[in-house]
Amino acid sequence: MIKASKLSVSLGAGQAVRDVSLLVRPGDRIGVVGESGCGKTMLGLAMIGMTPAAAKVSGSLRLDNAEMVGADEKSWQVQRARRVAMVFQEPMAALNPIKRVGDTVMEPLIIHMGLSRAQARECALSLFEEVGIPDPEARFRQFPHEISGGQRQRVLIALALTCDPGLLIADEPTTALDANVALRITELLARLARDRTMALLFISHDLAAVARSTEDMLVMYGGDIVERGKTAAVLSDPRHPYTQGLLSARPRPENVRETDGRRKRLPTIPGAVPPLADLPAGCRFAGRCPVEMSQCATVRPAEREGTICHQLEAAT
Amino acid sequence: MTLLAVENVTKRYRLPRRALLKPPAVLTAVDAASFTLERGQTLGIVGESGSGKSTLARMVMAFEKPDAGRVLFEGNDLAALSPNTLRSLRPHFQLVFQDPYGSLNPRRTVGWSIAEPLRATGQAERHRVSEALDQVGLRPADAEKYPHEFSGGQRQRVAIARAIVTRPSLLVADEAVSALDMSVQAQILNLLMDLQDELGLAILFISHDLSVVGSICDSIIVMKHGKIVEYGAAEQIMRAPEKGYTRSLMTAAGLI
Repeated sequence: MIKASKLSVSLGAGQAVRDVSLLVRPGDRIGVVGESGCGKTMLGLAMIGMTPAAAKVSGSLRLDNAEMVGADEKSWQVQRARRVAMVFQEPMAALNPIKRVGDTVMEPLIIHMGLSRAQARECALSLFEEVGIPDPEARFRQFPHEISGGQRQRVLIALALTCDPGLLIADEPTTALDANVALRITELLARLARDRTMALLFISHDLAAVARSTEDMLVMYGGDIVERGKTAAVLSDPRHPYTQGLLSARPRPENVRETDGRRKRLPTIPGAVPPLADLPAGCRFAGRCPVEMSQCATVRPAEREGTICHQLEAAT
Repeated sequence: MTLLAVENVTKRYRLPRRALLKPPAVLTAVDAASFTLERGQTLGIVGESGSGKSTLARMVMAFEKPDAGRVLFEGNDLAALSPNTLRSLRPHFQLVFQDPYGSLNPRRTVGWSIAEPLRATGQAERHRVSEALDQVGLRPADAEKYPHEFSGGQRQRVAIARAIVTRPSLLVADEAVSALDMSVQAQILNLLMDLQDELGLAILFISHDLSVVGSICDSIIVMKHGKIVEYGAAEQIMRAPEKGYTRSLMTAAGLI
């Protein structure tokens, strides 16, 4: 079980993640959605102790009973891979280009799990099979540049599974892939989480992928979790004005014309995400929000039924 | 006259030799593709990577010559033109790339980059740059800034300004919104639709995302392994795709 309470990540003058509380139980599949700079990647990095050196992490992050905020790299190395593992967006950059992919996957099995080379090979081959790599024996000897993007991502997933982690964090695992390949990787991650009772934190800007692979979801904006709930409920009935804006900005190829034959414009969220240091102190969405009230920019809204918004606070 | 007519265009690439004495394998990147695009219309080309959609765009932009078939822009066979004639025609068809960071010179002001196609054809610049910036929703004063001073969405506006500064009749947009966040993507798509209404631009819109193509295009081409597998009116294809491949792209885009 992993529990974050008031977890924050500060970068220079701004807060990339602000007071995030999150409970991850075995088998949970949680989507984290938001646009560039919303803090979703930084949250993922904080949960595996890999925030950049300049970042300051505060609050609390408990992996089972170990407090990890302020923990040194040595204690993180013990936890990483076994309790938490991560799959990154760009598989080519995450794999060692001069190492055969089989050796890459065997390495943590030998170092962390203390297996012999022969045992590690057996184990890595079975992981290759589990993540759906066809002809694992042949793949094993290949270099990253010799295999396709989808296969590379599968290798990285196998690598992340080597030490049987309790939580797998996947940060935009499908963004660099073709749509059909992305779909299969998404399904693979959801299946692995179910089969292994492993928790999955699926970080993505792709709402369709999140809808397909997760049961719960968080929507982030400006370092805050602005809305959380069951994935199906949030997507069908978004409550926070930002979530509503984000969902309606999705291109939908139906009723594309006005009555006069002109092409309909897409609904947009006015303006742009301000730089980290210029985010409003109150609700982060203030300044762009269509239903903004006078106190929004300065007073932080409290959470009500999974969302933080003054409007919803006033309504309940 | 039809603005753009692509007739039976084929492009083959020789693959790296695998064995010394055998002929190298050949990849047919685009296989006998034909389509037309009229003024003011938007044609979407969808397909996965390797489907040949970018190769097709490169031939429409006359960056590459087809091995067979013809690309006719306003009736001119692009591959048959002299370099000088081609250069004088270039202002009429312009390209917007996926990654504006890679296509804008980081050491030059964006005003300099936007004026580049004008200089290439020896046209006067200043007010045209301001006009283009205004048309894409930026301020004329932004011409003095450098690419890193803009957000991703603004940089894509700069790239669009550079493409329309020569007042082209055809804009080729190669994955022009793919790298953008959803809310920014919506802003840029609206901008493209506004510019089309204002300037009567035809747009060849290349994307892997069928939901984007389906919402802004008049007609759609679906490509797979270099071949056009489906071609028709956008509303028809989105309502009732004929091919299983098109349906699989729809599933992947979360449309089914």
